[in-house]
Amino acid sequence: MKTITTITFLLSSACAWAVDSPISGSVSANCSIYTTTPGEYGSPNPYTLSTASASGGVDPIVRVDIGAADYYKTKFTYPNSFSSSPSGVTDNLTFSGSVTVSSVSVAAMSVYETNKVSVANTVTYDHTLAGSSWHTITSSVTHGSADNTALPSGNYTALVAIECIAK
Amino acid sequence: MYRQVIFLFFALTLNAQAHDMSPAYPKFRYSQIEGVSVTRMSLYNKRNDSSYYEIGVYTSNWDNIPFASAAKIIEVKHTKKYGFDVYVRNSDLDRVTYICTMSKVLKKTNVPLISTKICSKVK
Repeated sequence: MKTITTITFLLSSACAWAVDSPISGSVSANCSIYTTTPGEYGSPNPYTLSTASASGGVDPIVRVDIGAADYYKTKFTYPNSFSSSPSGVTDNLTFSGSVTVSSVSVAAMSVYETNKVSVANTVTYDHTLAGSSWHTITSSVTHGSADNTALPSGNYTALVAIECIAK
Repeated sequence: MYRQVIFLFFALTLNAQAHDMSPAYPKFRYSQIEGVSVTRMSLYNKRNDSSYYEIGVYTSNWDNIPFASAAKIIEVKHTKKYGFDVYVRNSDLDRVTYICTMSKVLKKTNVPLISTKICSKVK
């Protein structure tokens, strides 16, 4: 009986395996673009549309998350034309805008603002550090060359393009 | 103080909408089709205002390169991840530099529409 018990114990212990249960994961270089505030145009007077809060608008705010340092650059293009507008817009339209770094997760990212490159209506940032940066975009348009002619009533749309490009 | 900061952070990011693509540096491998290489990309859509993304393949000068995929405009539901293959002719491989996805935004009025584009680089 003792022999059988011993054999049974040996056989069962020989078949017992310690099984590892690894939890694997990986962090890869990646870029995420978050629209934290969608933005809205206000109309402080009949010939102006603006996202400025003083004009009753809301500036769009975009957060860029960079997973690994020095892998990406971003390009922000604020509107210089309407993608759609009422047919009565015949006078000059003057677009203006800006892109600024409004907040950062790493203090050293403050150099992003000084190192940004602006060409026409496109602003390029080099993301040399991992972390998040918040970018505020402003956009405004006035109608009329000299007499500030009122904008025709109707619906206006303009496009802000944000690109995150691996270096 | 820290609790307030953490709360504020989550409150600010609660409605965030994101577009995310990986890998940053894809590698092409031989496909089952002769003369054609393939790479696997993944797109994660956390934008609730955009469900359609257009795939593009470009040279270093942003010229279009012909490619094949299951669809050139893909539908990715909110908070879903979508894997897709990009097929390129071997003869074009030397010129392939960027693989991009660009959000297709719905038309709205009196708001600045935000289009996002993420590009991975083939090295």
